[in-house]
Parts: sequence; structure tokens; C-alpha cells
Amino acid sequence: MHLLLYVLRRIIQLIPTLLFIALVVFLLVHLLPGDPASAMLGDRALTADVNRINHELGLDRPLPVQFLLFLRNLLHGDLGRSIQLHQSVVSLIEQRLPVTILLTVMSALVAVVLALPLAFVAALRRDREADVLIRGTFQIGLSMPVFYIGLLLLTFFGAYLRWFPVGGYGDTFASHLYHLFLPALTLALSLSAVLMRNLRQAILSVIGAEYVDFARAKGLPARLVLLRHVLRNALISTVTLFGLQIGTLLGGAVVTETVFAIPGAGRLMIESIYGRDYPVVQGTTLCLAVVVSLTFLLTDLIQVMLDPRLSR
Amino acid sequence: MKKTLAGAFAAALMLSAAQPALAVERGGTLVYGRYADSLFLDPVLNDANVDIWVLSNLYDTLLLPTDNGQGVQAGIATKWDVSADGMSVTLQLRKGAKFSNGRDITPEDVIWSLERAANPKNGIWNFLISSIDKVVPDGSDGVKIMLKHPDPAILHALTVFNTAVMPEKEFEAEPGNTDEAKAREFAKDPIGSGPFVLKSWVHGQSMTLVRNPYYWAKGSDGKALPYLNSVVFKVIPDDATRILQLQSGALDGAEFIPYARVQELKKASGINMELYPSTRVEYVTMNVRKDVAGKANPLSNPEVRQALNYATNKKAIIQIVTHGVGSPMSSFMSSATPLHAGKGELYPYDLAKAKALMAKAGYGKGFSTSLLVLAGNQDELSIATMLQQMWGQIGVKLQLQQVDNATRTDEYRKGDFSMRLSAWTDDIADPSEITSYFAYSPTIQSLHTGWKNDTVDKLFVQSQSQMDAAKRKEEYAKIQQIFNTTGPTVSLYQTPYPVALRKDVHGFVQIPLGNNIFRGAWVSKKTSN
Repeated sequence: MHLLLYVLRRIIQLIPTLLFIALVVFLLVHLLPGDPASAMLGDRALTADVNRINHELGLDRPLPVQFLLFLRNLLHGDLGRSIQLHQSVVSLIEQRLPVTILLTVMSALVAVVLALPLAFVAALRRDREADVLIRGTFQIGLSMPVFYIGLLLLTFFGAYLRWFPVGGYGDTFASHLYHLFLPALTLALSLSAVLMRNLRQAILSVIGAEYVDFARAKGLPARLVLLRHVLRNALISTVTLFGLQIGTLLGGAVVTETVFAIPGAGRLMIESIYGRDYPVVQGTTLCLAVVVSLTFLLTDLIQVMLDPRLSR
Repeated sequence: MKKTLAGAFAAALMLSAAQPALAVERGGTLVYGRYADSLFLDPVLNDANVDIWVLSNLYDTLLLPTDNGQGVQAGIATKWDVSADGMSVTLQLRKGAKFSNGRDITPEDVIWSLERAANPKNGIWNFLISSIDKVVPDGSDGVKIMLKHPDPAILHALTVFNTAVMPEKEFEAEPGNTDEAKAREFAKDPIGSGPFVLKSWVHGQSMTLVRNPYYWAKGSDGKALPYLNSVVFKVIPDDATRILQLQSGALDGAEFIPYARVQELKKASGINMELYPSTRVEYVTMNVRKDVAGKANPLSNPEVRQALNYATNKKAIIQIVTHGVGSPMSSFMSSATPLHAGKGELYPYDLAKAKALMAKAGYGKGFSTSLLVLAGNQDELSIATMLQQMWGQIGVKLQLQQVDNATRTDEYRKGDFSMRLSAWTDDIADPSEITSYFAYSPTIQSLHTGWKNDTVDKLFVQSQSQMDAAKRKEEYAKIQQIFNTTGPTVSLYQTPYPVALRKDVHGFVQIPLGNNIFRGAWVSKKTSN
């Protein structure tokens, strides 16, 4: 019950945040130079055509009126229609957002699978060869731009070894997973580097704690000590970091989706910004904001589960 | 001028000329990687090359462009005849020509399609056929196009995407109150008469075209075209990924290969690196208004513009930016555009002359100005930094402003830019389109530069109804001479379309206007892969 109230309170707090994001995004896209008609018709556009289309779109109305209309539609769950693609923004997001979320979830999983064991190895072999090797390799991964890592992986595992497809998304769920593996790995590399360093440090600080010594002295097997006492306590700060990094991961998906030709929400957003497709930019930004906010909430809940003192 | 052509014969000739002497193989799928997806597959209401360049595969026109992009050949019309006074065109429709749903194409469909395309309320391409007054039936299987004035480009206009023949009844049966609303519905599952039919389209990902069993043209084996069962377009925005997919065999062809990769792919085994002749030109546009944003504008002085032209080392730019793929220009329009006139490179690099012109114009000490560059476009950035360095030698300090396309278009249309980089491709095999945008001031104030030359304006209007081919050629020679010597541009280079195909792909062509023609394409059976 206590936890439920906590979740409810957090969700209600979300509403003003999202309204504020809606306002900022609305202002930002409308203050960008250019307009959808010019962007669509390009350099050869005749002024009469540009004005006609902008009028049809209602873009010649005062900004406050446009914002109120946008809010009114938003309350009805209507995010408007794409100017470029002539589909409802909701249907576009339904098509594209799951792709990005799947990519993000896969990246997060790959990052955890990479970071967890290696952090333990690095911490337990502190300053020995294994530690130096692991930290050095991750440092390289961290310093390379995402698109470059992506191209390297594509060239080697895709074009050369042919283990994985060279970009694309596939048609079935299984083939989605197959197609998304390399892009997920690309995104995961930098995240796992951050997680690994943080977790390694946390393990090192926990491992010397008195309660760990006590557990060992009690005669608990080493594996149990590590899992129950060291890992659980070390994870608290890493989980926070992990949650905060989900936003970065979504940002990275924008680049990765372009390199790997994945039809996700990131690419949709970029194309919409270039095309000044206001409703799509507003809609995707809002949805991504919701996703990030919910991730933060989930992170907090996991923390509470790891350390019940935090819910008080 | 009376001109009657045995169209069918000419078409047969053109087709056989286009095919290599190999025995064609039928069937199969060709997977083609595009840099961006289409937006709206309506011939009249679309407004982008991503649509234009694939439309002809779905929608057939009365006449077709020849593979060199300069002539016309039979399409849905088998015979065409321009009247002696140039005021009308009669066309005979092909017997048995059908839409992709199996229905016969009637003169009423043609009349409706042309009048829809010529309606100034529909889309942005109606200017190409603004000479059309009305279209009437001619006998049971023909139409007669009545013109407001003689139009020397009318036959070429009938090959352009916006004059495609569409089924009136099926289009009008779509739900919606406006032409655009109906077109949106129609374009989801279009019925045309081109060699292919749209089967499926996942936006941003892929588009599948399958062969139209009712298509009229015959291949070199005497059977109906197209040879392929289907064409699949995959959208792969990243150049490097597109090339990797081609190399790994996931694609049979890839468009827009960056110039930097052309030499490498020419040497690659299993790949044909094609450079199709094109009408694409790259140039700097200079605002020539007396004042820009409240400041005196040195570019309004023609001598300054000439100096900048002479100070531009085009050969160096071609080497570094296009890796030798481009070539210098001898007029503002590409040499593939009909009636192109001009011998030798425009403004061969001459620093001494440039300095002298600057001094003569009163800018011996130079001046500062700015150039709009498309952010993230490697070619434009390379050109811009080279210009910065070259023009620095005559004292011109060039400030680079990197902006996105919509921002640039906005400043361009408002006319408050100093300079920008641009590229142009013709949509019609006639010099009138490029000339109306570049040189004829009423269209868009000569590329929004404010440049205006009364002689050019007069000559252009004259040439638009000039039916004497020799005189029209003279008029265009004069227009080009005036524009090239005093105009608002620095012509940098013209480039072909770089397309990489796997070696087993044959018969594909991208014509100089950009259209990707898949009707004669075929894939030889993959042996070991």
C-alpha cells in the first residue's frame, strides 16, 4: 500500500513535467527558422505555394492559438497528423517507438551482461593484468564515437564474417532480435564501460566493509557472500546510474538507427526536425519523455527494493 | 512545322539499343538501396526527387524520354503530331494499352489526367504544361491537346512524371472531398500503367514493386516487359552502410555513392560502378541586391562577381571534392541539357585577372561576406573551405554559416542571404525549366538573387513559343552568353549519378533527369555466391 501510494504520487508529479516539456518543445520547433512548406517544397518553391500550404496547415495563426489547439488535441489523445507523411502521429509512434524501445532494452541487457561479471573480475583482480586489460578495453570503447563503433562492427561481423545482417530490421520478432544485436552491442559498449567502472568501484568499497568480513567469518561460502552482501549493496549506486543513462541510450539510438538503417523513433524524429514536421517532433519528444520518466520511476522502485530504507 | 513519327518503330529501335547483346534472363527480384524513402506517390501533387525518380516505374506517360534523356519515344501514345501552327498536338493511343487493374486506357482518362496536371491549383509542377488550354477527344482512340500558344517543349513535357495517365473513374471513386484527399487514398494502392505495381510499403524501411502483367512494352526476347518479377527498395540513409550492404550481397544496387568511394568500388570485384550522365550542376548563388540586411553588398557589382569566378580554381575543387568524377562547366546549364551553348571552361582560374577586377571595382583591399553551407554535408563543407582559402587570396573574407536545409531555404526565399551553395537537376529534357529559375526574373527573382536582365527576360518569353528550332537555339545561346558573363552564380562543376550495381545486374539505367528506369533491368542467375 505504501509503495502504491508512492508510485501514484510520482505519476501525478509527472503531469506538470510533461506539460512543461510540451510547451518547451512547441516553442523550440516553432522558433526554428523555416517552415514545413519550405522544407517540403525545397529551393524551387514559389512563394504563393508556400503560403498556400502553410495556410492550409493553420501555421499562419498566432502561436498561442496554435499551442492551445495542440493542448486541446493532446487532452483528447490526439497528437495531430504528420505534415510530411500524412498519417496520424499516434499511428507513426505506434509503428516506430516499439522499435526504439526494443533496441534500448536489448542494449541495456547487453550492457548489464557485459558489465556485471567483468566488474567483479576487475574488482577481485584489482590492479592485476585482468583489471588493467578490462579497464583499458572499455576505455577505448568509451572514447570512440557511437557511429564509428557501429560501422566497425558492421564491417567486421556483418560484411566480413557475415554472422549478422548489415543493417535493417527484419520481418518477424526473431529476425528483429537478430537484426538488432549489432546495433544493441554498439550502444551497449559505452554504457557498459560506465557501468563497469562504477560497479567495480562500488564493489571495492563494499568488499572491505565490516559486515562482509563478518559474513565471511561466519563461514558463508564465498559465492554467497559476493551475491548476497557485496553485490546487493554495491548495486544501489549503479542502478541509479543505469537509470540515468537510459536517456543517453535513447539519444544514442538516434545515431545508431541511422547507421544500421533501423526504422525507429529516433530516425523519425531527426527526419521530422529536418522536414519541420512540427506535430511529429512534438509527439515523439513527448513520448520519449514519458518513456524516460517511467524509467526513472522504475529505477527508484528498484532502489527501494534493494534498500527499503529509501521508501521512508 | 509538320512532324509525324512512326513512334512504334522508334520505340523498338530505342529498346533494342538499350539492351546489351546478352540473352536476357527473366524473373527474380532486384533489391535497390535508396538514401531516403518516397513521401507521396502522386504524379501531380508530389514535390520531391524521392518521389519523382521512381514514379515512372508505376505510372506511364504518353511519351517516354529516351535513355540519353534528350529525345522522346512512344509511350501510351504510338503516334504524335504537332500542328503546323504549333497550336495543337494530336496523339494516337496505343491499342490495347491497359491500367494495372486490367481496364483499357481511354481518351477520357488521358483528358482528365492532363487537365488535372495543368490545373494551377494542383501541386507545384503545373508550370511545365502551362501552355495547355484544353484537351479534347480525337476520333475514338486519340486526343487533341489545344495550346494557348505554340510550345516548343510540349512533347518533352508529355514525358514528364506529372503528365502520367491515371484512371479517372478509380481515382474519383476514392473517399474524400478534395483532389488531394482522394490522391492520398489513391496513392496508398495506386493503379497506373507503368511496368510495375506497388505491392507493399513500410514507410522508412522498404517498398516492394511487382511486375504489371498488363504492361504494353516488349523486351528483346519478344515477350512483355518488365523482365523482373519484382523490385524492392530498401531505405538506408547512411552511405557507408548502403555500400556495405551491396558488398555483402544484401543489395543488388545502391544509389548516391559518395564520390570518395567511386574509385574503390570501380576496382571492387563483383561490382559495376556506374556513372550515369546527368543534368546535375553545383554552383554558388550570389545575392546581387544593392543592400543585404541593411548593409551595402559588394556582390551587386558584376566585376566583383567576375573576380570571384576567376579566383575559383574549379579543377582543384573537382579533384578534391568529387575525386575527379565531376567536370568543369561551359554554361550555367549542364552539357546534357538540350540547347546548352558554350565552349571551354567558364572563367578559367586566373588569380591576376581576379585581383585586377577587384581593384577596378574599388575593392582592392577586399571585403567580408558569408556563405550558407548545409550542415553535415561533407561535399559542401569541403567546397566552402576551399572557397574560403581561394577567395582569401583576393582579399575576400568568407564566413561560413552552417545551417540545416529548412533554415537555408527560409533565408534564401527571403532574399537576405549573401551567398549559398546549391545544386540543380532538370526535370524535363528542355532548357526552359532551368532558365526560368536561374535567369528569367519573374519566376523566383533569378534564384532569389534579385538579378534581372531585361534582354534575357524578353528572349525567354520569346523562346517559350518559338517553333523555329534554329531561332530558339539562337535565343538560348544569347541568354546563356549574358547569364554566364554577368549572372549571379559561380558554376563549380557538373557530376554524373554514381550508382553501384552488382555485376549480375543488367539493363538498369538512371537517365540524366534522375529517373530510375527498371523496366529493362534483369538479373542473371546467381552462380556461386
